[in-house]
Amino acid sequence: MRHTLLSAVALLVLAAPTVAQQTANPYDSDPAAMRAGRALFANRCAECHGADARGFSGPDLTVLWAEGTSDERVFQTIRSGVSGSIMPSSTAPDNEIWAMVAYVKSISTVAAALDAPGDPERGQELVQARCTRCHYVAGGGGYLGPDLSRIGAVRTRESLMRSIREPAASIQPGYRTVTLVTPSGDRIRGVAKGEDAFSVQILDTRQQLRGYMKSDLAEVVREPVSLMPEFTSARLPDEDLNDIVRYLGTLRGNR
Amino acid sequence: MWVATVVGLALAGPAPVTAQDDDAGVTYDDILAGFADPTRWLTYSGDYSGQRHSPLTQITPANAHRLAPAWTFQTGFDTRGRGFETTPLVLDGVLYVTGSNNYAWAIDARSGRPFWQYRRQLPDDLTYGASAPVNRGFGILGDRLFMVTLDAHLLALDRATGSILWDVVLADYKVGYAATLAPLVLDGKVIVGISGGEYATRGFIDAYDPETGEQIWRFYTIPGPGEPGSETWPDDPLTLARGGSGTWMNGSYDPELDLIYWGTGNPNPDYNGDSRPGDNLYSNSIVALEAETGALRWHFQFTPHDLNDWDSNHVPVLVDLEWEGEERQVVMLANRNGFFYVLDRETGELLLGEPFTGTTWARELDAAGRPIILNDGSQGCLPDPWGSTNFYPPSFDPNLELFFVTARETCATFVKQEPEYVPGRQSTGGVIWIDQDQGWSALRALDPRSGELEWEFRYPSPTFAGVMSTASGLVFAGDHEGNFIAFESATGKDLWHYQTGSRIWGAGAMTFMLDGRQMVLIPSGSTLVAFALPLD
Repeated sequence: MRHTLLSAVALLVLAAPTVAQQTANPYDSDPAAMRAGRALFANRCAECHGADARGFSGPDLTVLWAEGTSDERVFQTIRSGVSGSIMPSSTAPDNEIWAMVAYVKSISTVAAALDAPGDPERGQELVQARCTRCHYVAGGGGYLGPDLSRIGAVRTRESLMRSIREPAASIQPGYRTVTLVTPSGDRIRGVAKGEDAFSVQILDTRQQLRGYMKSDLAEVVREPVSLMPEFTSARLPDEDLNDIVRYLGTLRGNR
Repeated sequence: MWVATVVGLALAGPAPVTAQDDDAGVTYDDILAGFADPTRWLTYSGDYSGQRHSPLTQITPANAHRLAPAWTFQTGFDTRGRGFETTPLVLDGVLYVTGSNNYAWAIDARSGRPFWQYRRQLPDDLTYGASAPVNRGFGILGDRLFMVTLDAHLLALDRATGSILWDVVLADYKVGYAATLAPLVLDGKVIVGISGGEYATRGFIDAYDPETGEQIWRFYTIPGPGEPGSETWPDDPLTLARGGSGTWMNGSYDPELDLIYWGTGNPNPDYNGDSRPGDNLYSNSIVALEAETGALRWHFQFTPHDLNDWDSNHVPVLVDLEWEGEERQVVMLANRNGFFYVLDRETGELLLGEPFTGTTWARELDAAGRPIILNDGSQGCLPDPWGSTNFYPPSFDPNLELFFVTARETCATFVKQEPEYVPGRQSTGGVIWIDQDQGWSALRALDPRSGELEWEFRYPSPTFAGVMSTASGLVFAGDHEGNFIAFESATGKDLWHYQTGSRIWGAGAMTFMLDGRQMVLIPSGSTLVAFALPLD
């Protein structure tokens, strides 16, 4: 992964002669630039706007384009800051700012793939039957996995298919699997919501928020797997997958 | 009757909470005396040595578990992306505290209530040469407080009111200069450094007259054309003029040798050295300057021709100890480049240089003290630009002879780019990818004679907390998850912790006696919390 990024960023360097005074983003949809922008975003913006750019103490940036903004306007806001707010001006070079704009745009709301194969109604039935114990979807469901109510607006069809077939390939912070072992040998499994040197905070598989002091535990086991099962083609035929992903593509924010 | 009642209350009540009117103020001898008066903390590290080791013993390994908060002071605002990095000064029960965005306060140490607040009107077009709007503390002399600003000024404030007595410009903030450190006050001099190494700037260390604000001397960390050290740069005045090497963290002082020890930062551009072949003196070095004149006595460069932004802006820790059978006056520091160094502080001779983290960049130094570089980044990831440690203070316990430091174990990829030179814009010359999943850190106790690890306490993420130790055998440190922690100095056993609610970032604790109680203070997020043993 890291080496992929390295070569990608190197491409960005080669492709970056001079971009000052530009009004169109020279890196628009450039995958190398978007990866570099992600690294810059994590260092400089995530503190306020959240690691996923969907807002923390600062606003959700993934809806900006859907609300009609332009690349240049986002660039200028980063460059100049927002007067009267905590959002500072930036003295970063132009190409770094354009790379961040390209990245945020890439994780912003995506167009609905209306011509994609699959039956959304059947997909809805499958999701209700097989996913909502752990995922909240438009009005109901569980919390062990990410909320899917808006998933169609922020994830591409390909990315959704990959997450269903290989859930461990990319696990968001807050959904990583942990098992806590008590001194009597009981094992409590869940997803880690937080951890410090002395304590760990989890959502257990019964979907209860529970906090523990490490001094009260025998062991904290971090597992490199997702709590979500791998829905291989044997377990979920391609047709079902198409229907589910087609349905997920319609989920665009009505929680 | 009314008078008698008031007097009776005054006699029976607690000690007065105002500063004493008849106080002649702080003298140089007071600062020189360091911790001799246990009610005071008069300079960034508590004394000139930079050891941040208090002689107080009321709080001990046996009773530290009973520590409890006495009060919390709230600044009312957060620091974008960074921390509350200050070390309060204390005199006669009054704390003098600087905050982010050049706010400052005088605070009653008994109640946590402010006497006054100062806020600087900062310009709208700050360049943030300091990377973040932080400040690390006041200097004090007489009835004056000294503070540097984000727009690169040095201010003298009246201790009683917070009003400005004089205001001098250190450098032009529009180019990228800024200032954040706690001024070092000597006999008749206020010593300050400058931030801005990510910009086309030229670092310096200055001395000012505390009375008038007049500049006494300036030492440039990048030589001028033809000056000693310029042979380590290309023969190009423009390259030298924008060579960087900020001096943005506090130095230490040896009053007997009358030498100031100060760390210097990265050359500019940070990550692209193509335009600056050579060692780039005096970047990433420690310089020993004559306090009287600012003349360079010696220097030692830790990271020649730095390409990783591993500034050497650390608190130099001055220690006298037996070294291979003879008494040596040494300066020691753990460096951002991953090595722990001990130098003779009279001559600059290298006595020890050993890695204190798992850095893959280099594992040993050659005979001249230069790192033997094993990995320029092509052999896996390097420590990130924040380094194996950073500016946050370490401490040294002279009884146990242990050096305590927060050590960071990280993984980053550095990618060079063409720098753009625009005034007021960063010219770092690269981008960095930090693998967030691989970072962790530890509080480490090092043997200064070998650099060997005596003990460590691990934190789950790369922590940025400073350290303070006390003569009772305690080390106070913290972590990125917000815990303020007391450890047993000899063993590293954690004895007590308190969740402050925000990461401890850049700050080290300080301690003093107040009405017979030992207070311990730590800044965190937007709060300053005071701890003590319960009154019962």
